[in-house]
Formats: sequence, C-alpha cells, structure tokens
Amino acid sequence: MTAAATTVDRRDVTRLPGPVASIFEFLRTMSRKPVGLIGLIGVVFFLFLAYVAPFLVPLQDQVDVASIYAKPSFLHPLGTDFQGRDVVNQIVYGGGDIITTAILAALFSTLIAITFGSIAATLGGRIDALILAITDVALTIPQLILLIVIAAIFRPTSFFALAVILALLQWPALLRQIRAQVLSLKERDFVEAARSLDLGLMHIIFREMLPNMRSYIVIHFIIAMTLAIYAQAAIMFLGLVPLSGRNWAIMLYFAYNQGALFFKDSFFYLMGPIMAIALFQLSLVWLASGLEDVFNPRLRS
Amino acid sequence: MPVLSVRDLSIDYRTRRGPVHAVRDVTFDLEQGETLAVIGESGSGKTTLAVGLIRLSPRSARVTKGEIRYDDGKRAFDVLSLDTERLRRFRWADCAMVFQAALSAFNPVITIWEQFLDTGRAHGMGDKHKVHDRTRELLDLVHLDPNRVLRAYPHELSGGMRQRVLIAMALLLDPRIIILDEPTTALDILTQRAIIDLLRELRGKLGFATIFISHDLSIAAELADRMLTMYAGRIVERATVEDLFYRPRHPYSVGLMRAVPRVSGALGSVASIPGSPPDLIRLPRGCSYYPRCPFHVDECLQQDPPLLRVDTPDHEAACIRWETVAAALGSDAEAPVAEKLA
Amino acid sequence: MATITPAQGELQVRTFQRSPLSRIRGHLGGLWGRPITQAILKAVLTVYVTSTITFGLIRLMPGSPVEIKIDELMQQSQMSYADAAASASGLFDINLNAPIHEQYFEYLGNLVHGNLGNSFLSKGTSVMSIILSVLPWTLFAVGTGLLLSFVVGIGLGLIAAYRRNSLLDHAVSTGGSIISSVPGYLIALLIVLIFGIQLRWIPITQMRGAFTSGITPGFTPEFMGDILFHASLPITVFFLTHIGLWILSMRSATLAALEEDHVTVARARGLTDGRITTAYVGRNAVLPLVSQFAIAAGAVVGGAVIIEQIFVYQGVGLRLVASVNQRDYPLMQGIILMTTVCVIVANLIADLLYSRLDPRIGRAGGATGK
Repeated sequence: MTAAATTVDRRDVTRLPGPVASIFEFLRTMSRKPVGLIGLIGVVFFLFLAYVAPFLVPLQDQVDVASIYAKPSFLHPLGTDFQGRDVVNQIVYGGGDIITTAILAALFSTLIAITFGSIAATLGGRIDALILAITDVALTIPQLILLIVIAAIFRPTSFFALAVILALLQWPALLRQIRAQVLSLKERDFVEAARSLDLGLMHIIFREMLPNMRSYIVIHFIIAMTLAIYAQAAIMFLGLVPLSGRNWAIMLYFAYNQGALFFKDSFFYLMGPIMAIALFQLSLVWLASGLEDVFNPRLRS
Repeated sequence: MPVLSVRDLSIDYRTRRGPVHAVRDVTFDLEQGETLAVIGESGSGKTTLAVGLIRLSPRSARVTKGEIRYDDGKRAFDVLSLDTERLRRFRWADCAMVFQAALSAFNPVITIWEQFLDTGRAHGMGDKHKVHDRTRELLDLVHLDPNRVLRAYPHELSGGMRQRVLIAMALLLDPRIIILDEPTTALDILTQRAIIDLLRELRGKLGFATIFISHDLSIAAELADRMLTMYAGRIVERATVEDLFYRPRHPYSVGLMRAVPRVSGALGSVASIPGSPPDLIRLPRGCSYYPRCPFHVDECLQQDPPLLRVDTPDHEAACIRWETVAAALGSDAEAPVAEKLA
Repeated sequence: MATITPAQGELQVRTFQRSPLSRIRGHLGGLWGRPITQAILKAVLTVYVTSTITFGLIRLMPGSPVEIKIDELMQQSQMSYADAAASASGLFDINLNAPIHEQYFEYLGNLVHGNLGNSFLSKGTSVMSIILSVLPWTLFAVGTGLLLSFVVGIGLGLIAAYRRNSLLDHAVSTGGSIISSVPGYLIALLIVLIFGIQLRWIPITQMRGAFTSGITPGFTPEFMGDILFHASLPITVFFLTHIGLWILSMRSATLAALEEDHVTVARARGLTDGRITTAYVGRNAVLPLVSQFAIAAGAVVGGAVIIEQIFVYQGVGLRLVASVNQRDYPLMQGIILMTTVCVIVANLIADLLYSRLDPRIGRAGGATGK
C-alpha cells in the first residue's frame, strides 16, 4: 500500500474541521473503488427521488384515455400506463412506501438480530444453543413461501405491519453473523477488562461491543434492506398486500394483471418500475460492498 | 565441480513505492554433497534467495540480473533460461525444497499417499507400484511407519511427522540439491533435534548437496560445511563454519554471534544488534550496515564494500575495517566470539 | 478405595445427575457423536417446528377460516348462510371447535402417517397427492438451474481469480455482482418482455405448463425434450440469479486458496498446472461453497413461486399462489411443510457431500499424531 501517500493525505485532511474531515476522508476512500461510489450515488439519487422529488413534482393521476401506453415523449419521458398516466410521475411517487418499508424492516430485523445474537454469544451455554436452534429452523423454512402464506392470512394493511412481518422472516442470517462477530470480540482485551470490572451484560453489549461492530451493522442493515425490497416487491406483485396503488411493485402487479406484459406498446411502462427496483437494489449492494472496503482496510488491495 | 553456481543474482520486488532490492549481486558456488548455510535476520533476503533459486518467487518479484547455473555432470543449464515446462521438471527432480511451513505444506483434502503419487507422476514415474515401493522405502528412512502415514490425511499427523514426510517426499526423485528453508522453525525443541539428526543421517547416506536457510546459528553450525552471512540482500561474509564462528570478520556476523544465547554464557551476554535493517527501496550510500556498525568510519560511506579476501583464500568479508574487527576480537582461535565479547 | 477425593465426589454427583438426554447419548454410544446422527436429529426437529408453525398460523389468523369461507361462498354464489355454512363445513375435515391441544395432536398424528389433510377445492383430493404432482417439476427446474449455475459459476470464478485484475476478471466480477443483485422475478419479467413480446424470439405461450398436453409421459427422448423445452425459461432464470453468487464466492475462495502454503509447495514439487488448479486450488476453494449451496437451495425454492407464476410453469409455486387466492389453507400448510422438507434434504445432502470432500470433518479419531 501507499503508506507514504496516505500519511500525506491525512495531514491535509486534519486541517479541516472534524466532521467535514471525516466525511472527506470517507468519500476519498469510497472513490478508490468506483463500485462503492456508484452505489452511493445511486442510493442518494433514489432517496432523493422517493422523499424529496414528490414535493417538487405535482402528482398526476388523472386518467387520460387518449394516451394509453404512449411511447416516450417530451411530455412523458417513460411513456404512460394502461390508463394514460405518466410513468415517471408514478416512479417518483411510488418509491416512498417501498423504501420506507424496507428501512423499517431492516431496522426491526437488525434490532432482533443484534439483541438475540449478542445475548446468545455473551451468555453461551443452553441459551446460546436454544437461540441457535431456533435460528437454524427459521433459516430452513423457505422464507418467501412462508411470507406469502403469512401475508395471505394476515393481509397486512399498513407498511408498518408489513415491515414487522418482513423483519420476522429475515433476522436469522444476520443473527448468526452478529453472534459470530460478538464471539470473536468477546476474546478481545477491552471486553475482558469490562467483564472483570463487573460492568453488567447490557453495559458490555451496548457500550463495549456494539460500537466496535458499527461498520458491520451498517453493512448488514443495507443488505437487510435489499432482502426486504426483494420480498415485499414479490408479495406485492402477487397482489397480497392491499396497499395504495402508488408503488413500484404495485405498478408491476397492475401491469401484469392488466395483461400489459403481453402488449408490445407497454414496454416502457413495464421497464420503469423494473428498472427502478433493479437499480435501487444494485445501488444498495454496491454501496454495501464499497463500505466493506472502507471499513475493512485489509480487503483493500 | 559445483553442482550449482550462482552469479550476480539480483531479485527485486515491485511495489508502489518502487522496487525493493531484496537480493543484490549474490554470487556463490554449491559443491556436490556439501552443506551451505545462509544466515541472517528476517528481511535479510535469505528466503527470497532460496525460492528464487527454483524460480518460485511471488509474482511481484523479478530477477533483474544474474545466472543460476545447474550442472550435475550430465546436464548443465541456466535455471533462469528454462521454459515453463522444463522449469517444472527441474523443480523437485533436480532441486527439492523443504519449507518452514511444514504444518501447511500438504493439501489438506487428499491423503499423503496421493500427494506422493502426484509428485511421482508429475515427473514421469508412471508405474504406481514403483512410486509406492520407493515411498515406503523413504518413509522407513525418515523413521515413519508407512502403513500408517500413507493412508493418513495431513491433519492427522503431528508437526514433526509432517516435516519428516516432507523430507521423505523431497528425496522421492533423488535430487542433487535440497534447499531447506528454516525446516525446524515451526517445531518444538525436541522435534527440532530429531529433524537435525535425521537430516545429518540422510546426507551421509545419500550425498545430496544442501542449502540451509536459517536464522538459528547453532543449528546452522551443526549441519553446515560453509556459511554465508546475508545482510540487506547482499552476502557480507563467506567462510567455513570454523572461521565464521571463531574468526568472524564482518561486524554484522560478529553481531549475529553475540545475539545467540549460550548455555555457558552469563545472562548479560546476549546482545541484540541495535537499530534495524535499512530500507531496501532507498538504500543508503556506502555500506548498508554503517548505521548499526560499532566499527564504522567515514570512509565506509564512500561505497558499498565488495567482498574482500581475509585471512585465508576461503574466507571473504565485505568490510574495509575487517582488520580492526579482527584486532578487536583478538587473534586466538580458542573460544567462540560470543564468549569473548561477553 | 476408602477415601474419596473432592474431585471424585463431584464426579459421582455429576454422574448421578446426568440428564435423560445424556443417558440416551450413552446408549447410542459412538453413534451420537457422528455428525450424521446430529444432522438427522436436527432435521426431525426442524420438521416438527415447521409443522407446529403452520398449525399455529391457521389458528392464529384473524377471524375463523370457516367464517371467511362462508362469507366467500355467500358472495360468490349467492348462497344463503345456512347453505354456505353446510358447504363450508364439508370442506373442513378438521374440527376447528375442538380444544386446541386435541386438534394439535390429531394434526401431528396425521402428519406421522403422511396425511396432510384434504384440499378445500377439489373435494376428496389429498393435499399430499396435489403436492406430489407439482413438486417434482419445481425440483427439476430449480435443481437443474442451480446445478448448472454452480458448475459454470465456479468455473468462471476460478478463471477470474487466476487472471486477477485482468479485463476478463473485471467483466466477470462486475457482471456477476449486477446479475446477482437483481431479483429473479424481474429477470423473468424482462425475459418475457424483451425476448417474448418485443423481439418474439421465444414462444412464451407455447412454453407454459410443465409439458405439452397430448404428449405421452415416459422416458422417451421426445418427452424429455418437451420437459426441457417447458422448463427452459425457469431454469434460465434460476441459472442467472445464482451464477453471480457462485462467481463471486468462488473467485474470493480461489484467491484465498492460492495464498495457501501447500499450493506453493505443490509448485515446488513440479506438479503440472492442471493438477494444481483442480486438486490443490479448486478442490479446497469449492469446499466453503458446498454449504452455501444448501442455503441457496432454500432461497431458490421460495423464489420459484413468482417465477413459475410469470412463466405459468406447473410447479409448486404456481399451485401455492392458486391456493392462496382460493384460501385453500390445508394446501398452503402442506406446501410450506413439503418445501421445508426439500430444503432439509438438500441440507443433508450438502452435509454428507461436505464430509466426503473435507476429511477434516467427520473423521474424528483416526490416525491422530502423537
């Protein structure tokens, strides 16, 4: 590695005020690997699209029979849907729910995984064995199938409820990784020291261990978001979640159920939500892999 | 006639900061059946030299100049000029290598027997039974039970057993040269002893030449006929074992002797060499040992000294102050240096 | 001996207090310690827990499933409540009014006999027979796609690692990471959209179903070809969604394996590059991927649902969506249970394979060195 070059960089950076310097340093490291930077830009773009753009663009949901399945034009850059509504407008308004649900689901599943993963690893013994056994069982049941059945039975009507269901299904993989991570941290000196000072389990987990796993948790939060998007778009596509009509996955559901899939003219209408979901997923994955490089200097080559 | 003659061999590692000159202008001969020990600190270039001899250096390494001439009386060639296929055949058949990482030297997922068979087949031993007979013979020779070892997977053998297996495997093709790269470092002290005795015994029986890489002077002294001291990628002293231990002429060799703990010596007698080896990317002008040398004078900075003949024709040291060193140590050859300087 | 040391005393107390489980362990003797025994026990436990979950799910649902069915019947066919109730209760061969533990034990008892109940829709048809008629098609498509992706993926990953930082490496790694981040059902939609509708290269409507009706099933080349024709789109999607995973995993596993000392030693031994790549690098690199394969098998069975829906492939996923739309609860339960069993079997096979491939696992004892 360029040991000399890095030290010079650091000296430049330290002249800037603290937070700015760390952001600067972060972006500098990210930019070493283009994939991570592209991911970051993509995620920022989609967050802007979903949460800021709706305030800038007026909602257009009036039916326009004259321009059903219109080709892309200046007025409709991605064409129109089966009711003549603008696709770009729907993409702008259709991201909020899906991303919010994904963030909530990732938050819940990360919380479950961290809590029980660290309890399992810290306490060990029978509790560890029990938590691990439950995790193994949960990992074995095909999750999407279980999710479809649960969604069919409970019909979640709010994105909060949907997020809870998604979270209940995706914690196991993360839990295993958190547990492994805590097990390795447990051996480190500072945790040993905290334990010999008798600082209590909660103190050790939340004050000593979690701060050391911050990077790890951030990356897995992002991965959990991709899983949540994958799963919720799947059940929405099947029409199992009676949510509002403005949503990338619901767009696909309508398109599919209206038979738009088999219309030659509907190409752009379908490509809109497909690309939105696919590109957002890709951005998240690339962001996570970029972050992995930033946080784990050993991987940088 | 030497079985291996190395001339002006230089090996660089490419890095972002520039080339690391890990081996510089190394020249030596290895006679038939002799044992040559190469000693030095870690980072002195001895392992780079060892793997460089069979061109097994990592990808970032590059031989910048020199010649490695192999001559066993029937065939003679420059190892550096071999094409990939001929290099492959040269390795192990003419020059085998026993690594320090004996614990991980074997493929963990196939049996020891398969690894012997692989080695034999790679060098045209098509007859499975022949390989098998020869392998059993060799395992007997290294005092292992063939029935047990051949069926075993590497993880089922202890460190000492694995090192014996690797030595047996090195002998499979009856090579003229065996390079031993710190073959005992990863082992406990009793196993070390046993391996050294074994190597001595085998050398007596089979008569191969050995290049022995070590930072452990006492082990090197037990096995070697002649010794090379390496510092910062160069050979700084070349001598017989006797000469090097009783009459070292390069200050670095003297330092190495003093760094060895001795059973007979007082506790305070062990002295490490102050300072650290130079940056091999930006080598300082003059003698590279200058900053650490207790004998240095301004003249030392004018050029990196060449190997000079000292005392006898078989003894060379790269130090313009060798006479001062000799005077400081005294002329009597009765006691090893380490005790005298204590 | 007359005197008992404290340690011996403790030992005796411990022996006395041994749990029933450890006594069983004692009886099973050497069998207990074997990974295979543990894997099978784990499998049985998982089936049990899964069946309990599916049992609970239906009972936990808001509102009684009978009432929902009655409502539905009344709306759909304008029946009176009484008619609808009679017809609905006929559908349920379980008595939802019985105490919950009785229902539970009856359910488990039926399960042990392989009885998953009857489907609501086609009266008298057992859930098991429906699942057995669709599951093989899914397993065939999923299995083929996954295996193909595995073989091609580890090949490409190995090459990418050997040519690290070459153009090929960058292309393969980036392509792999793109294709593995896009959900499989979107790839399926894109295939239909681009190759089926826009370009008309693929006759998607003819490819629906598991095989062309009218053709006689059997081990004839004709029928086999027809099966492959119908399964080819799902197989393609399963292939595409997983190949990235294998490429990336194999690439990093190979890079790690290349650093191993034994590979350097193998080079020093003058082994041929071919032998080193296959037996020394490849075989070690592939090991961690075997257990990943089992995990992927579970995910892909779930993902199959929507892909079968899009291609109208007559597998378990298509059936699941139908059962969900028709509120056929016994069939839903059965599908969860049977797909879980498939994943468990895949896991067992992977475990077995792993212990065969890696001698360090499952060969405890043996010729341990002294």
